[in-house]
Amino acid sequence: MAITEASPLQTDVAPDVRGPTAPLPATILALGIASLVVVALGVLGSQFNYALSDRILTQSCIDQEIPPEDSGAVGVCSIVEALADPVTTGALYLGMALGAAALVLGLATYRRMDSKRRRDHAITGAVLGSQGALLAVGILWFRAASPGLFSKHFLNFDDLEGYGGAFVRGARNTLTLAFAGEVGGILIGLVLGILVLSQRRSVRAPARIYINFFRGTPLIWQLITGYFLLLFGFGIRLSTFAAAIIIFALNTGAYAAEVFRAGIQSIERGQIEAARSLGMSYFQAMRYAIVPQAIRRVIPPLMNEFVILIKDTALVIVLGLTAANYDIFTTAREGQSATFNSTFFTVAAIAYLVVTLPLIRLVNAAEKRLRSGLVGIVGAGA
Amino acid sequence: MEEPMRWVTGASRKEPLVRLEGVHKWFGNLHVLKGVDLTMQQRDVVVVIGPSGGGKSTLLRCVSMLEVPTLGHVWFEERDITDIRTDLNEVRTHIGIVFQAYNLFPHMTAERNVTLALEKVLKLPSDEAHERAMDQLARVGMGHKASAYPGQLSGGQQQRVAIARALAMRPKLMLFDEVTSALDPELVGEVLEVMTRLAGDGMTMMVVTHEMGFAREVGTRMLFLDEGMVAEQGEPREMFYNPKSDRLQQFLAKVL
Repeated sequence: MAITEASPLQTDVAPDVRGPTAPLPATILALGIASLVVVALGVLGSQFNYALSDRILTQSCIDQEIPPEDSGAVGVCSIVEALADPVTTGALYLGMALGAAALVLGLATYRRMDSKRRRDHAITGAVLGSQGALLAVGILWFRAASPGLFSKHFLNFDDLEGYGGAFVRGARNTLTLAFAGEVGGILIGLVLGILVLSQRRSVRAPARIYINFFRGTPLIWQLITGYFLLLFGFGIRLSTFAAAIIIFALNTGAYAAEVFRAGIQSIERGQIEAARSLGMSYFQAMRYAIVPQAIRRVIPPLMNEFVILIKDTALVIVLGLTAANYDIFTTAREGQSATFNSTFFTVAAIAYLVVTLPLIRLVNAAEKRLRSGLVGIVGAGA
Repeated sequence: MEEPMRWVTGASRKEPLVRLEGVHKWFGNLHVLKGVDLTMQQRDVVVVIGPSGGGKSTLLRCVSMLEVPTLGHVWFEERDITDIRTDLNEVRTHIGIVFQAYNLFPHMTAERNVTLALEKVLKLPSDEAHERAMDQLARVGMGHKASAYPGQLSGGQQQRVAIARALAMRPKLMLFDEVTSALDPELVGEVLEVMTRLAGDGMTMMVVTHEMGFAREVGTRMLFLDEGMVAEQGEPREMFYNPKSDRLQQFLAKVL
């Protein structure tokens, strides 16, 4: 009984051995955090304050080429005025000073800190402080140039009213292009990937030529030339949308082939030997033993290719689409042409991010799962 | 239909099961096998020992044509399997191999590892394949782990599943390629015990091993392979107690 009581290390959680902190490193950390917070709160706070209170078009805005006849001039003016507000100015200079202090103090003292936690606090404070100071410098620089002109072109959301449906449709079309292209590309890539692994040069060579051609020429060239090759060369009359899907699939096929090749090559030699020694043919061994294992390893890189393709579908603009088939980028480009307002491109970026960010998270999660080695066990049922 | 507890089926024959004649193997310019001749009769347990790099594994792999001899011939049941016209897939259904690295399929359960080739190669119906697999797994003491994945098994357990996978094909010949070399010492025994029982049942076996005790007790014949040549062969006990060549004496002095 006495023995169990006397063993303090019998815990389920690993002990925290980073040691105590002290006033100096804690202050450095606080300075660094404060620097970032002051800059962010000062800038965003003024922006919200101006956006939510009564907005007016000031003379200084009109002087900065934001005339009253521009649609959205008031909104843009409030952005510019908030940037010039003394509160913003104060926050920027204060943030810069706090950040510089954290950086200097942290760098000067972190080597002498005698516990892990003290050193961590000093270094983290210095890092955060430098980020806050850099952010403040960047905003000051931006403000000193022509924030009015920039805001007028890229942050003027008034013209975008009524375009919500168009962007949703654009996102749907972008995803259709990318998804159909990716599925086609995976099928082409799987076949090519197996062909380039052949022992025979006569089998390998055509697949290698295909892959190198599509990897070695610009996608925009492939789109234009491919469309006209289908139309004039082979007399196949397709909508530009359908033709684009085919060309995206052909292009993605080349990249997917390399992914599959690497995935198959990453399976230990012993696996195919075990399968062949049981009397399986080469294709049976591939189908039952190698490819199912390779598939798990190629899922993250293939998803990565999908994210890349989502962005590359923007190139379809060179073929010209019918209005119902506009993708995100074409939607933005058409809106910008009609209004001379580039804020459409800002919204396009947001639309792409809404689609790609969750996918990027998914890729990272899949990679982590693969690295953890759970795939061989758990993934088998899926 | 299923005779339960016998590993070896089929009548014994007079002609040799395996015959190697003048087998040479080069890897690039590396001459690994320098003319090996070997005849194995039914029920032979041929143990191959020798220093590493001596060509033991290469020799064993030539018997199932996982390595193709550069020169020479290999016969299995009077069929020249080095002839390019031989259907190797069919020949391999009669030759089981167990590898040093187990080489189980990691995405399949132990049972699926065993049934896969039964269904896809021997074309057995799945219930029959299941029955045979469970029978084999039980015999290597792995019946209770049939639904486990290889990653959930110890090395010794994986190796026993690998043996069951090979045996389920009802092979006429079993090849063991240093099957205990990758195992922790305390797991070696369980694998050797399965192999000893198999030999006792009359299975024809070729065993490349560093387990000298197993070689002496279970082997019916022993080859000492050194620098790609059979330096000495004979009855295992005789070779252990009375090594003739200097090379074998030196080798035994090092490993015993």
